[in-house]
Amino acid sequence: MYTRLPAPYGSLINREIGVQFEFENKTVNGFEGDTIASALLANQQWLLSRSFKYHRPRGALTMAGQDANTMVQLPSNPNALADKELIKEGMQVSGQNYTGSLENDRGALLGLFSRFLPVGFYYKAFFKPRGMWEKWASLIRKKAGLGVIDQQLKSPYYDKQYKFYDVVIIGGGPAGMQAAIDAAVDNCEVLLVDENPSLGGSLNYARFDAAGTLGKLLRTELLSALQANSNITVMTNAVCNGWFADNWLPIICGNRLYKVRATQTILCTGALEQPALFHNNDLPGVVMSSAAQRLVHLYGVKPGSAAVILTGNNDGYGTALDLLDAGVAIQAIIDLRANPDYDEVAKAAIARGIKVKTGCAVYSAHSKKEVHVASVEVRNIIGQGICGNDREIINCDLLCMSVGYTPAYQLACQAGGQLSYDDQSAIFTLNNCPETLQLAGSVNSLWHIDAVLAEARRTAAIATNALGFTQVAVGEVIPKGSISPNHPWPIFAHPKGKEFVDYDEDLTIADIVNATGDGYEHIQLVKRYSTCGMGPSQGRHSALAAARIVAAATHRTVADTGVTTARPPFSAEQLGHSAGRSFYPARRSNMHYRHLEAGAEMLQAGAWFRPAYYAQDNITRQDCINAEVTNVRNNVGLVDVSTLGGLEVRGPDAGEFLNRFYTFGFVKQPVGRARYALLTNEAGVVIDDGVACRFGDNHYYVTATTGGVDRVYQNMLKWNAQWRLNVDIANVTSAYCGVNIAGPNARLILEKVCTDIDLSSAAFPYMGVRSGTVTGIPARLIRVGFVGELGYEIHVPQQYGEALWDVLIEAGNEYAIKPFGIEAQRILRLEKGHIIIGQDTDAMSNPNEVQMSWAVSKKKPFFVGGRTLSELEKKPSLRSLVGFVVNDIESPIPQESHLILDGKHMTGRVTSCNYSPTLDKAIGLAYVSPTSAANGSTIVIRSSGGVLVNATVVDLPFYDPNTARQEL
Amino acid sequence: MATLDPTSVKRRSPLNQRHVTSHALFKEFGGNLLVGHYGDIKSIQEEYSQAQMLAICDLSTLPRLGFKGPGAPSWLETQKLKLPTLPNTAKCQHTGSLVAKLSDQEVLILSDIFALSNDVATLSHKAEIDHQNYYKQTYILPRGDSHCWLAVTGTQASEMFSKICGIDLRSHKFAHGDIAQTSVAKTNAVVIRNDLGSTPGFYILSDISGVEFLWDCLLDAMQEYGGCPVGVSALQRLIKSS
Repeated sequence: MYTRLPAPYGSLINREIGVQFEFENKTVNGFEGDTIASALLANQQWLLSRSFKYHRPRGALTMAGQDANTMVQLPSNPNALADKELIKEGMQVSGQNYTGSLENDRGALLGLFSRFLPVGFYYKAFFKPRGMWEKWASLIRKKAGLGVIDQQLKSPYYDKQYKFYDVVIIGGGPAGMQAAIDAAVDNCEVLLVDENPSLGGSLNYARFDAAGTLGKLLRTELLSALQANSNITVMTNAVCNGWFADNWLPIICGNRLYKVRATQTILCTGALEQPALFHNNDLPGVVMSSAAQRLVHLYGVKPGSAAVILTGNNDGYGTALDLLDAGVAIQAIIDLRANPDYDEVAKAAIARGIKVKTGCAVYSAHSKKEVHVASVEVRNIIGQGICGNDREIINCDLLCMSVGYTPAYQLACQAGGQLSYDDQSAIFTLNNCPETLQLAGSVNSLWHIDAVLAEARRTAAIATNALGFTQVAVGEVIPKGSISPNHPWPIFAHPKGKEFVDYDEDLTIADIVNATGDGYEHIQLVKRYSTCGMGPSQGRHSALAAARIVAAATHRTVADTGVTTARPPFSAEQLGHSAGRSFYPARRSNMHYRHLEAGAEMLQAGAWFRPAYYAQDNITRQDCINAEVTNVRNNVGLVDVSTLGGLEVRGPDAGEFLNRFYTFGFVKQPVGRARYALLTNEAGVVIDDGVACRFGDNHYYVTATTGGVDRVYQNMLKWNAQWRLNVDIANVTSAYCGVNIAGPNARLILEKVCTDIDLSSAAFPYMGVRSGTVTGIPARLIRVGFVGELGYEIHVPQQYGEALWDVLIEAGNEYAIKPFGIEAQRILRLEKGHIIIGQDTDAMSNPNEVQMSWAVSKKKPFFVGGRTLSELEKKPSLRSLVGFVVNDIESPIPQESHLILDGKHMTGRVTSCNYSPTLDKAIGLAYVSPTSAANGSTIVIRSSGGVLVNATVVDLPFYDPNTARQEL
Repeated sequence: MATLDPTSVKRRSPLNQRHVTSHALFKEFGGNLLVGHYGDIKSIQEEYSQAQMLAICDLSTLPRLGFKGPGAPSWLETQKLKLPTLPNTAKCQHTGSLVAKLSDQEVLILSDIFALSNDVATLSHKAEIDHQNYYKQTYILPRGDSHCWLAVTGTQASEMFSKICGIDLRSHKFAHGDIAQTSVAKTNAVVIRNDLGSTPGFYILSDISGVEFLWDCLLDAMQEYGGCPVGVSALQRLIKSS
C-alpha cells in the first residue's frame, strides 16, 4: 500500500521527479528529495536493518539521522543513515547485520539466549580457562562490526577549506534564524549552519498552535529577512562536528571539511527527543513523535493508520493533531502525567474527541509478524517507573513517543560548558560556556517560541556588542519556563526485559543496573563496561536514561551522576574528511627529470625523491647497481647529492661557533679547506655529520645529512640563542644543487668544463674547497671522498642543476661516464667503511663506539656533548661498531638489524651489509660486544629464516686502506 | 609566435617540464627565460582575461634576493631603497622592484615582472663588496634559488587560497602590500599581496625543491574556480592596462 499524503504535505520532496531504486533487490519508487527511509516508509517497508547484538528488527526512530536504527548498506558506503541519505536513481540499498534474509534473520536466535549474555559477559566468559580467548576470537571477530567495506573503492575526492566569520550560528531553527538576522548588522559577517536540507528546524514540522499555521508563517517571515541580508551566508546539509579552542569549528558539507574560525559563536543546536523505556520499545513502528511529524510534513508520508501517542508533555497532543489532520486515527493518548497542565494545543486535541488516558504508561509493545508494532499494553502508573495491574491492550500500527528532550549539548560541552540537571523539574542547564559562545533556543532549555526568539535576539546583541559592531542594551536573561516538556521518569522495567536504553548496543535497563551491581557506579565506568553510548549514535538517546538508571541504582541524583562526556565528532564522518586531498609534500632536485630520462628508479628519502639506481633493459636490479659501483671504481660516475643539507655559517664568530657546535676543531681550519664535522648532542650521541668548508675567514659552508639538516639548523639556532655569538646561520639546502663526480677519470672530465680552477692534486688537494665556475655556472667545489675515489662535489645554485648535469654528462661521454644512484653509493661507502648516521648509529651511539674518536678534539675547552663523552671514556665500552666479512660467499647475505648471537644470547646487530662487487665478498658493519671486536674474531649472525651465518671481524676500511685512491 | 628552447639557458625553472607539456611558449625578459604564454591553449588576450579571474604564473627565473642581519635594513636604505615601516609589509620601488620586509632584520627584494629593473643584480654586486667579511652584520640570502616565485592573480584568488591556506586572504582582510609567512598546501610559504593593476595578485615564495608539489596543489585548488596557468605576458598586460 502506498501511503503518500497530498501536497502541501512533503515540503522536501519534488513530486514532479520520480526516483527508482532498489532495496533488498526489490524496486522502490520515491521522489526527488526523499531519503531512503522516507521512500521505504512511503512503501510501508519499515524494517530497515537488524540490531548489532540480538539482530532485532529495527526501523526508523528519529527520521533526523540521529540514531543507528536506520543504518543501511550502500555498495561503497556501509552504515549509511537511511533517514539522511537521499535516494538516487538506480541506487542499490540493503539492510545490514543479518544472516539469511532481512525478514528472516537467523542471527535473531541470539535474542533467545539474551539472559546468558548479560552486560560485560565477554569480559568474563571468554578468557577462562587460559588460552580460550584465541578460540573465541575468530568467531567473535566475524560477528563484530557493522556493514561491509568496499576494499576496491577508489577514494572519492575530498578536500578542505578555511572560512572566517564574525559570527557563526550553529543550528538553523527559529533561534538560529532569528540570531542570524539580528547579528548581521553593518559589516558583520554571519554564517548560519544547519544540518538539514532547509532552514527552519522544528518550524518545518512541529505544531506550535492549535491551528497548525504558526510554524510555517514564522519560517516564511524569518526566511525572507535572512534572504534580504547579504551579510548572511547560509550552509545547509552541513554539520558542525565539534568545537575546538578559539571557536575553531569543523563543518562538514558534502565531501568538504570547512575549517571555520568564528570570532563569536551562537549555538542554536536545539534538543533531541528522547525515547520512553518499555518492553519492546524498539519495534519498527515505535517512533519519536517528532519523527512522525517529520514524515508527515517533510516527506508527505502517512506513517500509520491507527496511532497511539505516549506522551509526558503537551507536545504529544500536537503530534496527535498533526496525525489526525493527515488521516491517521488516534487510538489513544497515553499521558504519563497524572494531572496534566494542558496548553492551547492539547486542549484542541482533546476537543477533537481523542481518547486520553492520564497517569498511564505503555508497559509493552507487541507485534504479530515480529517486524512491526501491532498493539500496546497500557497500564496505570503507581510509582516511579512502576505500573499497576490495570491494563488495556490497544491495537495500533504506530506508537509515537513524546516524553522529553535533552539539549544538543555536545558542542557546548566541548567548549567547556557544564551540563547540570534538576531532578525535580527535569530541566537541563548549560553553564560556564566561554564568553565568545552563546546559547539560544531549546539547547538552553527554552521551549516557548516567544522565549526562543527573544533569547536569540539577546545573544545576537551580545555577540555584535563584543565585536564592536553595536553598543546596544542587552536585555535580561530570558527565564526558563516553569513547565518542562521533560517527564522525569519515562522508564518502565518489565519482567521480560527488552526495554532498550541503548538501541545501538542492545542494552536494556537490567544491563545498566547490573553494571552498577558489578561495582561500576561512576557513569563513565558504566559507559565503558556496558558500552552504553559507545555506538554510532554516541549516546544521544541513551545518555539521559542511563544516567537516570544509574542514579536510581546507586541512590543518587542525575545531578550527582552527570552524563557521559560528548567528544567530537558529533556525528560520523568519513576518513576522507580528515584526510582531505591526496597530496603529500615532495621535494625534487633540479635534475629530477634527467634521472627519469636516464631510467632511474626513484625512491623517497623523507620528502625527497632520489634515484635508487638506473635501470637497464634485461639487467637485474642488483646487476645494475653492481655495474654502477664498478664504473665508479674503474672509470667515473655521477651522483646527484642535491638533497644534502647546506648551511651557511657567516660572521666574525663563525669559527668559534662551529668549534662549540661540532666535535672537531674549526678555529684554525685554513680557508680553502674542508673538515669532517661530527655532531653529538648533550648526551654525547652522534646525531649528524657533514663537512665544514671554509670559503673565507668568516664564512663556512657546512653540509649535513639529507634527513638531519632541519634538526641541525634548529640546533644551531637554539645554541646560538644561548651563546649569542656574532654569527648568522642560514639553511640554504634548497638553494644549491649538487653532484659528486667520482672515479679515477673524474678530474679529466672536470678539467674540460671548469677552467678557472687549477684541479691538479697539488693545487686542489683532497679536502680542499674552491669557488669557480663550470661552463659559466657559479660553483662551489669540494674534494671529498665519501665513495673512496678521486671525487669532487660540485654545488651550484639550484636552478642551474639541470644544466650542470647536462654539461658533465656531455663532457664525460668520451669517458663513458654513467650516473649512479644511492644504492651504489651505499655500497661504495660501505667498502670504505664510512658510516651513515641513522643507519649505522642509533639513539645511543657515541663516537667511540662507532670508531670516530679521531673526529673528536680533545684540545678545545667545550663542544656540545663533550662533557658527557669525557665521562663515557672513563667507563668500559659496552659495544663497538666493527666491519665484518661473511666467511662463506654462498651464505645468505645478512640484512640490517639481523642479530649477532653468542650461543642463545643476543650480543649485537648488523647495521649495514651488502655484496661488494669490488671485493666479491659480502661485507658489513655490526655492533658487537667488545670481546668480539678484535680483528679476526668470529661472529655468528642470525640471518633470514633463522639461518646462522659465520663472519669474521676485520679492520676498516674494507677497500683502499691507505686512502690512496681518493687522494689521487 | 616563435618560442625559445628552455634548455638554451643554464638557469631553468624546475617547472619547465610542466610548462613544456602544457605547450608553453618561452620568452626572454632581461636575460631570464619565462613562459610568455601557453600557445596552443589560449591567446594572450584570453590569458589576460583568465588572469583577471584566476590564474597562476611561474616567475621563478626572475631575479630576487634576500638580506638579513641587524645591519641589513640600514645598509639597504643607504642603497636608496625605500623600506616598508612595518614587518610583514611590502613596498613597491620607483624602479618597479618590490621590497618586502619579512622582519626587522630580514628583507626580500623582488624584480619587477618585466625584468626591467636592475636592482637585484646591483645590490648583489654591491653587497659582495661591502660585506665580504660580514663585519656589518649584513648577510645575503640566495632567495633567487632557495625559493620559487609564483604569482596567483584574479578576483577568485583569495577564495581559492582558502582551500589551502589558513590565513584569511580576502581583500578586506589582507590588503595590497600585506605579507603572511604561513603554510600553503602544507608547505612553508611567504605570501605577498601585490595587486597587478586593479587585479588582485599574490606572490608565493616557497622552497624551490617542492615547487612542483605546490604547483600541482594550486592547480588542483583552482580547478573548482576555472583557474589555470598563464604566461607572464598576461600579467604584464594587467599592469599596462591599469
